Amino acid sequence: MRNTERRPRTFSDIGIRVVLLVLAAVLLMALQLSGNLRPVQSLITQLTAPAQLSATGVTTGVSDLFGSLLRIRTLEQDLAALDTRNAQLEGENESLREVEKENEELRSLLNFAQTRPRLELRGAQIVARVIGEESTNFIETILIDLGQVHGIRTGMPVVTDQGLVGRISDVTENTSKVLLLNDPGSSSSALLADSRLNGIVRGSTSGALIMDFIPQGPTFQEGEAVLSSGLGGKFPKGLAIGTVETIDSQPNAVFQTATVKPAVDFGALELVLVITNFEPNESLPDFLAAPPAQATPAAEETPADETPAEETP
Amino acid sequence: MNRGLLYYFMIPLLLFLCLLQSTAVARLKIAGVKPDLVLLMVIIGTLLYGMRPGILWAFIAGIGLDIFSGGPLGASSLAMMAAAGVAGLGHRPLSRFNPLVPLAAAALGTIVYAVVYLLILGTLALAGWSTLNLPLFETLRDIVLPVTLYNTALMLVLLPFLNRMPESQDL
Repeated sequence: MRNTERRPRTFSDIGIRVVLLVLAAVLLMALQLSGNLRPVQSLITQLTAPAQLSATGVTTGVSDLFGSLLRIRTLEQDLAALDTRNAQLEGENESLREVEKENEELRSLLNFAQTRPRLELRGAQIVARVIGEESTNFIETILIDLGQVHGIRTGMPVVTDQGLVGRISDVTENTSKVLLLNDPGSSSSALLADSRLNGIVRGSTSGALIMDFIPQGPTFQEGEAVLSSGLGGKFPKGLAIGTVETIDSQPNAVFQTATVKPAVDFGALELVLVITNFEPNESLPDFLAAPPAQATPAAEETPADETPAEETP
Repeated sequence: MNRGLLYYFMIPLLLFLCLLQSTAVARLKIAGVKPDLVLLMVIIGTLLYGMRPGILWAFIAGIGLDIFSGGPLGASSLAMMAAAGVAGLGHRPLSRFNPLVPLAAAALGTIVYAVVYLLILGTLALAGWSTLNLPLFETLRDIVLPVTLYNTALMLVLLPFLNRMPESQDL
C-alpha cells in the first residue's frame, strides 16, 4: 500500500533549493557578462520577438478599441440612430486614420533623413519598429525589430524626427535594445542653442532630463533649445534633445543646472531611426569595448558568428 | 492534496505575465512607474503554496523578466527569490485571510525585490562589469516608493479573489 503521508518539509529542504537556484542565477549572470550566453539570448529573443510584437499590437488594438468605445458612447448620446453602415464607416475611418498617422510619421522621418544627408539612417528598410519595453521599473530601454543582420551595432544613436531617443545598448541577430536618454545611466554632451553654453544632459530616476555642468556666470533662458554637442563622441552634433524648462543657478555653486523638457515623448515611441554611419567614440572597459564598426555595415558583410562584444547598458 | 489549478498553471502564467510586463503593462504607468505584475503573481503563489515552490517560480519569473529587460540576466531572479522568501514567511504562521498579510507581503516583497536588484546593479557597477548604477536614495524615492504603493493597491484589488483560492496544506 502506498504511503501517502509526506515527510514534513524542513528548512534545509528549502535551503538546498535556494542555494542551487542562487548559484544558477549567478552562473547565468557571469555567462551573460562574459558574452558566452549571446547565441542563446539571440535565439530566445528571436523566438519571443514575434510574441512581443503581437502583444504590442493587441495592446494598441485594445487601447484603440477602448478609445473608440468612449467615442461611440459620446456619439450615441448625440446620435441615437447610428446604423450599421455608419459603424462600418467608422471602423474603416479608424483604420484609415491609423494608416494616415503612420504615413505622416514616416513622411516626417523621411524628411528628417533628407535634411541630414550626412547621417545614414537605417530601419525596416529605414525605420525600426518598437516591439517591446523594459520589464522592470529601474532601467529605461525599448526593444526594436532591427539587429545584427541589419547592420545595427552597439553604441549607434537612435533618433526620431523630433530628436534624440538614445543609443543601442545590446544587439542580437534580429532585435536590439535601446537605452533611452532618460535612463539614469544615460548621458549626452549638450549645447544650449542660443547661448552656446556646453553641459551634460543625463537621465534621472524621476524620468526627467537634467542638464548639468553648465558654466556659472553666463545666463540663459527658459525655453532655449538644447542640442547634442557631439563632444565625447557618443552622439552626432546638432540633434534636438529638448528645451530648458527650469534653471537652478546657485550663486556659490561651480555649475548651473537645468531641467530639460525632452523633445521626444519617450512613453509613446512607435517608430525610430538608427544612425548607422556614426562611430561612437568613447572609452569603455576592455571587455565591453566593441570591435571597430564599419562606417556603413551591410548585412552580407556580417557573419553571424562575428558577434561584437556586448556593451552592458 | 489540495493544490488548486493555479499551482499547475503557475509557470506558463508567469511567462505570459513576463511578456505582458514588457508590452501592455507600460500603458498602466502612473507617476512614471508601472506595476510589477510578475512579482505580485510570485507573491500570491508563495502566499498560497509556500516558500518551496515560490522560490522556484521566482527564479523562473526572474529569468523571464530579465530576457525582456536591459539589466543583467539573473538579477531579477535573485531579487525575486528574496521577495518570495519574505512572502513565504506569511504562508503558514500568519493567516493569509487576514488582509494585512497579503498587503504587507506585497509591500515588503516589492521593497526587498527593489533593494536586492539595486544592490546587484551597484555591485556589478563597482566591479566595472556594468555601467548601470542607480543612485540609491533617489531611486527609492522616485521609483521604489511609488511602485510599492502601486503594487500594494493592486494587491488590495486582488484580495477578494485571493481569499477564494484554496490554500495548500502539503507544501
